[in-house]
Amino acid sequence: MTWQRDDPALYEKEKAEVAAHFPDLHFVVEDVTVFVRGSFAVMFEGRVLDRYSVELQLARNHPAGLPVVRETGDRIPRHIDRHILAADGTACVLLPDERWRLWPIGSPLVKYLTGPLHSFFLAQTTVEEGQPWPFGQWAHGAKGIFQFYRDLLKTSDLRLITNYLDYLAAKKVKGHWACPCKNGRKLRDCHFDQVKELREKISRKDAEKSLAVLKAAGSSAIDMTEPT
Amino acid sequence: MTADEYLNEVLASQALGDDSEEVKALQKHRADVEKLIRDNFKDTALTIRYAGSKAKGTMNKESYDLDIISYVSSGDNTAGETLDDIYDNHKKALAKKYYVELKGSALRLKGCDPENLGVDFHIDVVPGRFTDETKTDAYLYQSGGDKKRLKTNLDVHLDHVRDSGVIDAIRLAKLWKVRNCLPIRTFVLELAVIKLLKDKKKRSLSEQMEHFWTELRDNAANLSVEDPANPNGNDLSNCLDDNLKSQLAAAAKRTLEQIDSSGWEAVFGKTEKQEKAARVEILRRAASVATPSRPWLPEA
Repeated sequence: MTWQRDDPALYEKEKAEVAAHFPDLHFVVEDVTVFVRGSFAVMFEGRVLDRYSVELQLARNHPAGLPVVRETGDRIPRHIDRHILAADGTACVLLPDERWRLWPIGSPLVKYLTGPLHSFFLAQTTVEEGQPWPFGQWAHGAKGIFQFYRDLLKTSDLRLITNYLDYLAAKKVKGHWACPCKNGRKLRDCHFDQVKELREKISRKDAEKSLAVLKAAGSSAIDMTEPT
Repeated sequence: MTADEYLNEVLASQALGDDSEEVKALQKHRADVEKLIRDNFKDTALTIRYAGSKAKGTMNKESYDLDIISYVSSGDNTAGETLDDIYDNHKKALAKKYYVELKGSALRLKGCDPENLGVDFHIDVVPGRFTDETKTDAYLYQSGGDKKRLKTNLDVHLDHVRDSGVIDAIRLAKLWKVRNCLPIRTFVLELAVIKLLKDKKKRSLSEQMEHFWTELRDNAANLSVEDPANPNGNDLSNCLDDNLKSQLAAAAKRTLEQIDSSGWEAVFGKTEKQEKAARVEILRRAASVATPSRPWLPEA
């Protein structure tokens, strides 16, 4: 599947919008992959606060899939504490499960650039100045997933969180099933609306991955007392 | 922040400690330069020492040079018979590794390899010969001017500045010179500061600077300085001619007016600390209107 061939109008639209907002970023198609490369400006009130050399590898199923982001100037240390993978320099901009808040599926690429990506590099500049992460940061791995669902579902009970994730990862859910909150009621009589809403926001694929990570980590790997 | 607190921050932001990258680079070059000279004058008993702002404690980050003296003992002709020869032989020796620019009594070193072509290393080598066995006074060759020989004394120069009690004012005056592109030799400026602040050592730094500029504004025409190493022999009047004096007076007048109308920051700008605080504040404001997004890493 190559989104740019399947939907050339979308490709042209994305390209034009990015060029209008970020004139130093350029679309390049290599084989079947679309890259956006160039100098990414961190802006505030019309002023460039900083610049980063970047490469965005758009997903084959763009805009459904998240882009892979690399900081190509080697300015940010490849260290987990800076959210850059040492192996390939990939930047971990956001937790996929949180995507609906930051760049909902169907949103234009420019919204990703002006939203989470801009915040990611603004935060990197802030940290470089010796300041804390301005928006906070999720803990790495399973712990970060736990923190996210703890805040979202307002429970520190790992068992309940995995129950919910089971329902988010399921192909479909039925109203007569037991509610994931485990209060003994049926889903339709309890948290049906909440589960439905979350299933619309969080993709099955992301929920499946998070569930697998949490199950593999187990409760012993998760410090449930640490505040976010 | 008071004027003196501000000026002290300016000085702190201009400080070059021994562990700074700039000084480490200079020290590395100094070692290379010394080796190059000694390798070329194996039979000569040379005295190679730091001079200039590094030795005087008046270095500013914004504009600094490393002066290295290379003096031959009196009566030693192995590095050249005349001062002219000593100067020229040093130039030839240094040219093996550097592009050498002639600069009065000094030899300015610049890069000549493809990687550093034309790069100014901020290093001046000053060749000379001690006048006698006491190794105090020395003669330097002068490539320009009427006199081809200049008598000087490094220790007297160093002591004159180090013991002046107005080192901070000297450093600020040097910064003022650079910021205003004033074509005054640094040594002459140092002598002027010391002379004009002779009776003002106990005043605060801001008062000293205001006095210095007031004197320049009102009395630059009558200003003269003497070389402490050779007060009667070295005429420095050509280093402080009428044209330069009027430039100094105009710059001093402008500076005093800036302080009066806009405060001290108008003279030396924001300090590093102030700039950093301003940048952090802008980043904070930018974050306050940005999409709150937390990074995450899949691997713990």
